[in-house]
Amino acid sequence: MMETRIILLIIVPLGTAFIIPFIDLINAKLRRFFVLLGISIQIFNLTSIVVQYFDQIRDGSLFLQYHLGGWQPPFGINLVMDNLSFLFIAIVTLSLLFIIIYSIGYVGHHEGKFYVLYFIIIAASNGAMLTGDLFNMYVFIELLTIASGALIAFQRSHPGSEAAIKYLFYNIIAGSLIFFGVLLTYFNLGTLTMADVANNFAALESGIQLFITAIFLTALLIKMGVFPFLFWLPKSYDSSPAPVTAVLSGVLSKIYLYLFIRLIWTVIGFETIVALNLNILLIDIALFSSFLGHVFALQANNIKRLLGYSSIGHIGMIFAVIMLNTEAGFYGGILHIIAHMFMKAGLFVACGYLLQYTVSNHYRDFKGVGLRDKPVFIAFIILLLSMIGMPPLLGFASKWFILMAFLEAQSYFGAFIVIFGSLTAVIYYLRYIAKGFEEVRLSEDDLKMEVFNQPLLSVLYREKIVTFITYAYTAVIIIFGFGFRFLNIPLRMSIESIMNVERYIELVLGG
Amino acid sequence: MHKYLKKTLVISVFILTAIALYENFLLVPEYTGLRTGVSDYIISSGLSDTGSLNLITAVLYDYRAFDSLGESTVIFGAVSGIVLILSRKMLPVSSRGLSFIVKRTFGLVTPFIALFSLYVITHGHLSPGGGFQGGVILAVISIIFSIVYGSAFDYRRYSPQVKTAMETMGAFTFLGLGVVGILMEGFFLKNLGFLTARTGTLISAGSIPYVNFGVGIKVGAGLAIIFYSMIQKTFKEDF
Repeated sequence: MMETRIILLIIVPLGTAFIIPFIDLINAKLRRFFVLLGISIQIFNLTSIVVQYFDQIRDGSLFLQYHLGGWQPPFGINLVMDNLSFLFIAIVTLSLLFIIIYSIGYVGHHEGKFYVLYFIIIAASNGAMLTGDLFNMYVFIELLTIASGALIAFQRSHPGSEAAIKYLFYNIIAGSLIFFGVLLTYFNLGTLTMADVANNFAALESGIQLFITAIFLTALLIKMGVFPFLFWLPKSYDSSPAPVTAVLSGVLSKIYLYLFIRLIWTVIGFETIVALNLNILLIDIALFSSFLGHVFALQANNIKRLLGYSSIGHIGMIFAVIMLNTEAGFYGGILHIIAHMFMKAGLFVACGYLLQYTVSNHYRDFKGVGLRDKPVFIAFIILLLSMIGMPPLLGFASKWFILMAFLEAQSYFGAFIVIFGSLTAVIYYLRYIAKGFEEVRLSEDDLKMEVFNQPLLSVLYREKIVTFITYAYTAVIIIFGFGFRFLNIPLRMSIESIMNVERYIELVLGG
Repeated sequence: MHKYLKKTLVISVFILTAIALYENFLLVPEYTGLRTGVSDYIISSGLSDTGSLNLITAVLYDYRAFDSLGESTVIFGAVSGIVLILSRKMLPVSSRGLSFIVKRTFGLVTPFIALFSLYVITHGHLSPGGGFQGGVILAVISIIFSIVYGSAFDYRRYSPQVKTAMETMGAFTFLGLGVVGILMEGFFLKNLGFLTARTGTLISAGSIPYVNFGVGIKVGAGLAIIFYSMIQKTFKEDF
């Protein structure tokens, strides 16, 4: 079905990004209203889509298309919104809304370019999830890389610039690999539309199939930070400001997971992966990556770096459980994507508040943080418990389904990794919780240190907004922890749209 | 000794990687021919569909105009990022520029460079060129100004605010033409039918020349902003 509103999901944030520098020239204080206007049009747009197509979302027949420039799919670019991309767009938009309200409190009104890059990230993430065209996907991935790479160096500090350069090196290599893969696909199939490629990919020689698949997989492994290419990730999480880290870990890694699902299941086809004997290898790589992430997290002496390593652990686990290609695996995997998105973004957001007066993110500076702001620290602890997998919270439900999926597929190594991750998480999080409640006795030298060392960010612009967003994340985790059954229908329907590739191809090429 | 060991190690790793890559590329099966459906269609009916003599422009700004919007947003994002990281509102490093002869000669040449860039931008649908290429030539003028006349010259005449406004205007031209496409033709970035004229004339090919113009201004202003952000002085304590 043709629907104009899904293109507005991309061009409204893009237009907001274009208008902000212009508003800055007139009056920088007006910018906030345009930021809020852009994000509220976006929310309104998404809500109106939900309201109009509510029945179709429920019975899984949602399929909205848009042909850009009016050209039919093999000739032009098409946008597709099925149940999978709808679910991802809904959660990503919610998360990005939280983070932009947080950054109004955190960054304040001094930095116009921050919001420009942030809105480019919103537009590019919606575009990457909606597009049905391989080259268009590459363009949006490049946009995400450039915008997030610049935001990592936002603090203009030495480690920040270093991390940004490292991030850009890794991610631009990954981007050029994707470009090379797209090029090879076009070279062999003469088309760029995902549905058309999917239709003809199985007919290629197995050598070239392996080559294209390997290139795409390498690129996505770099982007997600899975085992052989994980070393850029903790550094860039550590040295970027809190809202940017929340975007990096809460949103971008989930978008790459979505693109991974889209490429492997819709475009390349899981049968091809099995025929190329890649699936067992990928599960093992992902589980080893998860293991490594948790082990590195044990030795991390820096809270943000620790959370970065734990992200590697969780993403490896999601990757492995999705690669099982069973319905239970997808259920657990996508539920954990949602859970991890809110938990990790919430944790980084809380970190940004808690660590505002400390000298660094180091373990020894974490002393007494909990006593300074007790309610926020309790929210922080709730989020940490959800990461570990405590029963009434969302992290428990998703980890339980992942464990069940591994046991059902008789992948006992995977089940071991889930349990191992939770147990090591108890060790490395409890250390920080205990340190947070330790009382600080300032000696003369400490006081001097505190005064002469520049704090990370001296004063937050609006403290109440910042704490409110932390509570909002905690509330989401608790509410969905009790009511994770609400997510049952969207999850089932998105699994159906992953599995039913023929319907996707038929609707894109036929309609 | 230690230095030589390190060098040999690095060189051997490079050679091994090269050999491994070579071996892998040998495994790639030979080119077996393209399914030419899409390219045949564009070659045969690109002119009648879009009215653009240059088929590359037809693909860039009509069939796949959305990709071009994305690419120009990449430049926009890069400009914003560089300005975000490097700008501290310091005047550029001042220099006196080159000798009198160079200044005079360049003064004579400048209008022709500007004319050439305008030609490349506006004739994108008729001859090789287009917004991106012409925009780069436009940015070159601004860069040569800073070398020949000293870095403060261009800064004083066309302040960063003017350049930012130009860049935003260019971006909005592209986006606005897309939205006009929704309103008048029903699709985002669809070629505007009422603007078509006889093929081969300057103002033909629907909205393609206007899109080219927007992209040209945007790329030119954006690259000039990047250049001037990079030659700005930064405070010592920032880095």
